[in-house]
Parts: sequence; C-alpha cells; structure tokens
Amino acid sequence: MGEHSTDCSKPASQEELLAAYRHDAHKFTGNAHEFASEALDGILVNQSVPHGADGDAAALSRPSGEPTQTVTTHETPYRLSLLDGTSRYDPATFSRPILEEAINKLLTTTDADAMHRAWLSTTVASGFNESSYYPYTSLKYHTLLVAALYALYQEGHEFEDIKIVVDTAETIIPHRTIYSGEEFALRLDTTARGRPAARLGSRPWRSWSSVWSRLESHPLQTDSNRDEMLLDANLRRICSWSTALQYIEDFRRWVNQ
Amino acid sequence: MSQIQQVHWELEMDYIGHPYYVSGNAILSSLVHEMPENTCRHLTASHGMFVPGQFGTFPDEHSQNGFRPYLGSGLPTVESYDDLFLMRNPSQMWLLDSRPREALNTHDIRTQSGQPAIAHDIIMGRPDDASKRHQTTKWYIHAYLSADRDDILPLDNSWLDGLQFGGKRNYGYGHTRLKATQLVDIEALDYSRLENATEHLLVLVTPFVISSTYPDAMSRGIPWWWDVTRDTVREREERLVKQGDVYRLQTVDHGQVVRYDGNRPVETAQNGIFRVGSHSKYGFGEFRVIPIDHQTEVTQERKTSVSARSN
Repeated sequence: MGEHSTDCSKPASQEELLAAYRHDAHKFTGNAHEFASEALDGILVNQSVPHGADGDAAALSRPSGEPTQTVTTHETPYRLSLLDGTSRYDPATFSRPILEEAINKLLTTTDADAMHRAWLSTTVASGFNESSYYPYTSLKYHTLLVAALYALYQEGHEFEDIKIVVDTAETIIPHRTIYSGEEFALRLDTTARGRPAARLGSRPWRSWSSVWSRLESHPLQTDSNRDEMLLDANLRRICSWSTALQYIEDFRRWVNQ
Repeated sequence: MSQIQQVHWELEMDYIGHPYYVSGNAILSSLVHEMPENTCRHLTASHGMFVPGQFGTFPDEHSQNGFRPYLGSGLPTVESYDDLFLMRNPSQMWLLDSRPREALNTHDIRTQSGQPAIAHDIIMGRPDDASKRHQTTKWYIHAYLSADRDDILPLDNSWLDGLQFGGKRNYGYGHTRLKATQLVDIEALDYSRLENATEHLLVLVTPFVISSTYPDAMSRGIPWWWDVTRDTVREREERLVKQGDVYRLQTVDHGQVVRYDGNRPVETAQNGIFRVGSHSKYGFGEFRVIPIDHQTEVTQERKTSVSARSN
C-alpha cells in the first residue's frame, strides 16, 4: 500500500494529474523505467507518482515480488487478448510509426480532464500491457487506476475508504471513472452517491473477482442474456483489475461486431 | 448419510449451456439415463464448477501444502472442511502466478451452431508457432453427490462415465469422461478453523432460492442467521427445467459474502455442504463458512503486495 499520509488533503493540481497519466510512457516502447527518456516533445514523462499510487495500482493487477515471464512466446510490450489470445499489434506485421503519433497525442494533452477522457476512450493504450511479464494486463486500465488512486490519495483518502461504484454510461467523473462503455461506467470513489458499490478492502491485492462478486448489483442482463452471462462468468474468474476492465471493453467490441 | 461423493469430469467436447456452472439438475438429468431410476431418485447433486487442468499450489487454509502438478485435473485428498472448497470458487486461487492465470482460468468462447459455446480446452501460443510451442489445457467439471439413504454411494463408475451436459447433445456437445471420484465423510473432517474463531462469514457458493414457480416450492425469506436484509443483496433470476417445463427461480446471486449471525458454525457448515432452501436437491443453496481471521487477510496481502522494483 502507498506511503501516502492523511495530512495532504488538497485536490491534485492539473500538472500532478497530467504527470500521473504520463508516468508509464516508457511502456509504449518497452524500455525499462531506469532507461526511459524523461521528456517527450518538451513535456516531462516517466515521472514517479506520489503517495505510492503506482505501486498500489500494480498490486491490483499483477503478482508481487520478482516477476516471472508468464508467456514465454510473447516478450513484448503488446497486450495479449483474453478473448482470442492474440496481440492487436503483432510485432511481425505492425509498423511502429503509425502508432507513435497517436501515442504522442495521448501523452502531450495539456488539460487534465481532457487527458482523463482521452485515456478512457483510447484504443491505442489498450494495445499495450502494463508489464511484458504479464502480457494480459492492460496499460490503459493500469494508468486509469493510477490516476484515480493518486487523485483520491491527494485529497487525503486512504485505500480502505475506496469503493468501486457502478455508474450510468453518461456519468463520467474526472479522475474517478476507470471504465466507460455504452452500457455503464465504473469509478473508484469514497462515496457511492446512491449507486451500487463494493469496498476494495483494507489493502490493494488482485481482488477483482472478489470485489465484483460483492457488488450490490451488476450492470449486466444476467437473468437471460447468454452473452452477458458469459461475460459475468468470466469476470468472476479474473483476479487482475486491469485485465478484467480490458476484458469488458474487448468483450463489448466482440459482441457488437 | 454423512458421505458425499466428489466427481471430476473431463470435458471432451465444447459445452453449450449455463456458463456459471453445470447445474445439479443437469447432472441428475444426465445420470438418470445411466442408472436405475429408483436409485437415482435418492440422489442430490451439487452444481458442477469449471476447473482448468493446471498446475497449482494449495492455499494456506488447505490441509496439504506446496506445489502439485496438474492440481486442477484430479481430486486431492480431503481431510479438513476447507479442502472441500479448493475448486469451488470460480477464481481458482490455487493457480500459479508464474503462469498466465487469467488466460488459463477464463473460458474461450466459440460459436457453435450459432450459439456461444464454452471451449473444452485452452490452447496457449499463437497459431503460427502452435506446432512446436503451444500448450493445451483441458477443462474439468467438479461436483459432488449425496444421497438420502446409506446404501446408494458410491455410484458405479460406469454410470458416471460418458455423461453429457448442456445443449446440442445429439451433436456430441458437452460430452465428458469420468476423471476421478472419491467418497468423503463429512462427519470425519477437521473443523478446527471454524471452532477456533468467534466470528464467521458465509460465502454463497451457489445461488440461494428465495422463490420458485415450481409447484409447491416454498417461498423463503433471507435466513435469519444471515446478517443482511433482502434490499442489500444482489438477486438474479435462474431457471429450472423439469420434464420440458421451465420454472423461474428468484435467487440471491452466488459469490456474495454475508456475516454469520448464528452460534453453531460447524453444524451450519455441514448444512451448507448439503445446501439449504428450495431446490437444494439440484445444487442451489450451497455455502461455505469462513472464520474471520484477520491474520489470514494479512497473509494474503503480504503475498500480493507488489515490491517496489517491479516497475
């Protein structure tokens, strides 16, 4: 858990929030953090995020300690899909320059709320993993989790105060919403505002299936819709947060095809 | 009648059916074609949980410890109450962190005859290198049977082998092979973890039926020994198919955790194995009693908290 203290209780500044969204720029290139560039087009990137928000978000999605290469045939920054086992950016056929412009745009936005919306809707960052050791994790959702945790810690909240809240699709709360789809949105927050919610627990761990199973209500038609039941059944089997959030996005796209 | 018979089936063909589990009703409906009807009617069946045939490590609360190859494809010896539940949580916490556990524990979906089907195996490795580097993991279905007479269990293995579950059975879907089976005496298990705790939680392993359109089924409220009210639990509608007729069941959805408000945890735990509420004969109303042990939570968190170095 983060080493944040409760004496900081002011909202995060624009610059601090922007830095949180830019903290893993090096993962788009597969460089280790210690060898990563500190600037991109004159903007600072790869800066560490205060209050331990990055470590806590990582603990929600991948194992502790010395990492292990879990898929030995895939040691790249590109994410593998739980749906079909493939990478959207197959390194054998994919041309990097096409991607770099989109990545730069995602990192160099200068308005924090616009940056949050850009990450919620990006399909570029969902093509990358948060660690090449764990290629089914998602850089997109890891980053959104880091930003939400950071913003909450900066306002003086502790991890144990935080809940996952199910919102309507129209409800996007800046630096709180961690998933946005056509049917519903999910946020991390300390107040549910009358919406279905579940506490994350006392400390961060790979608790997705546990927390999802404890939600007061599910935003899926699980009484009769076979596709939604399949999605729910698999969400109850996934422990990693960024993997699960990315799976919802992928599943929706697959159903709508 | 304190015995249960655990059964582990290997799924040999893709399965078109209920994605959360193979219902106890489906298991009994399949069994009745393989064994004498007047014996089968004494049986009750749990829901069958999907288990990947993978390597794993026993969790801390298990009576055994350490690594076990192909843990998910067999039935480890059961000595304590907690051992019963090793494979009955969909998140299958025993899977190894050194392998891609999320990919190995989620169902691949294949469209078969226009319907989404759960694949009977998981093929890891991309197609272009599949010939030399791919690994295949098979899926298993874990269930247990009980009976209201002492002379019924164990069932003959030939009755349990070759059962089919789900839809499109005429085309071979949902075909299984018996992989393992064993008897467990519920009275002989070690319940000391429950006895040593003063507070307990209940985990709903399968849905609890509140009301049912099945003739003469009792409507029930939330049990008094659950420290919750109906407006605070998640409900889900289930269906029960009997002789071609479909009955609607309103249930408290599985996976939820409630605080135990009774004072006989071992007796309650044993009732939970044999299940409570309407349609418990068909798998509904299974729950697990968990001692509130703050030490356990700390241990789990220590294992999962990320070290500073893993970027």
